[in-house]
Amino acid sequence: MAATLTPERTARRLCELSADARAAVLLDAAGAPASHHGVTSDRSGDLAQLARTMFEAVDRAHRDMPGGPPEQVEIQVDGGTVFGSRTPHWMLAVVARRAALSSLMLMDLRAVLGELEGGTPIRRVTAAAAAGGPAETPMPELGAE
Amino acid sequence: MREKRKGPIGRATGLAEGVAATMRRMQRDREPAVLVYDETGYARLVQPDGRGYERLLQTAERMVDLVDESEAEAKPRRARREP
Repeated sequence: MAATLTPERTARRLCELSADARAAVLLDAAGAPASHHGVTSDRSGDLAQLARTMFEAVDRAHRDMPGGPPEQVEIQVDGGTVFGSRTPHWMLAVVARRAALSSLMLMDLRAVLGELEGGTPIRRVTAAAAAGGPAETPMPELGAE
Repeated sequence: MREKRKGPIGRATGLAEGVAATMRRMQRDREPAVLVYDETGYARLVQPDGRGYERLLQTAERMVDLVDESEAEAKPRRARREP
């Protein structure tokens, strides 16, 4: 059985899940950092502060726009793309490579937060060859019973 | 109807147009952009004159710089450890 995802492991989990994620930080609803990954410990406080500022700015930007409060944000800048996602309990921000696919990254953020909140654990699949399984194709042969 | 074959000038023009389109696309991809998504996944673009746009861009740039610095600092340390 898969272990439950804890807040302490969440930032690392996201970076392991996505090859384009360089660093991540998890904040609780009050903005206190719960975990970080991809930056040195002396810089983690700065990253958490910037993530807090980002979510505050998202709320400010949203006042001019129709629709409900934004749940996710994507900011493309010269050296990379920053994504953020939140639930009523958690805020997760990630610094990704510029070439990261938005839809995949946003889905990963949502999936990791879902897992943290007790949702379905993310299932990772491994190639049969890498897992030491049979080398032949898992597809059934045509005409075989 | 068969398309008329292009001469060397036509081919060169076609090539130049392709390169120009690629350059325009690359330029557009590099431009900063801010998008917010609601809970249904509906995306809205924050306009450059919109409230919070500049702040969001500056914050994201600082986050990227921070990670760059952190990685640059970690690299020589790793290189020293792995001869």
